[in-house]
Amino acid sequence: MKPASGSADIYLRNDLRELERLRVAVEAFGANYCLPGPLLFELNLALEEWVTNIVAYGYDDTEPHSIAVRISLDTTAEGRHVAIEVEDDARPFNPLEVPPPRLDLPIEERPVGGLGIHFLRRCMDSVAYERVGTRNRLLLRKQVVG
Amino acid sequence: MDITESRQNGFLILTVTGRVDASNASSLEKTLLTAIDGGERRIVVDCAPLEYISSAGLRALLLAAKRVAPGGGALALAALRDEIKEVFDMAGFSAIFRVFPTTGDALAAGR
Repeated sequence: MKPASGSADIYLRNDLRELERLRVAVEAFGANYCLPGPLLFELNLALEEWVTNIVAYGYDDTEPHSIAVRISLDTTAEGRHVAIEVEDDARPFNPLEVPPPRLDLPIEERPVGGLGIHFLRRCMDSVAYERVGTRNRLLLRKQVVG
Repeated sequence: MDITESRQNGFLILTVTGRVDASNASSLEKTLLTAIDGGERRIVVDCAPLEYISSAGLRALLLAAKRVAPGGGALALAALRDEIKEVFDMAGFSAIFRVFPTTGDALAAGR
């Protein structure tokens, strides 16, 4: 019997070494709720790209900051969905305002970088962003297929 | 992530095992660029034991491909599992890298 709903909270420091803890948490969530491997790959990828972006570009100081991640599963008449909420106190950054990358350029003209936010948007069914006071809030949603 | 180097038919084969993410992609980048700067022109990245890659890992591969190309070299990729292939497709990399089903195919194509 697959559990119908539940959530897990993870608090990450603004340090790229925390990506390992994020991966472990996503995998544990997937195991608890019987989520398929390819979906976990996409959730992990979307989360890594967003958290990396926050850690690498989000802060003007060198102080420790906390990034709060909540992963939830809900079941409705339309099926099972994973919802992810990420909150941080980094500078404002709306991923929906990032122009899509040019993917058709030859190798010598391809810019290095700029793919992370593209992956985030491609991997998820929906991406929403809001700035609440001094905090960024990202909401991701993805249907569980299979 | 682990990277092992081997050599066959004049190719440098880099076998990448595990996960390449933003916390360790710089070491893949360093291995590739050091090899290219040391004169390697025919490089195959064997992805058979690669479990995960994000944009940070793709950045390393693109930098290496850009650096090896002007000397007439090429960076080929082999044995991508489905999820990894999907990441390459999303990035449009499947059109700019030569991708082979196996490392053996990559070596045969480069002979």
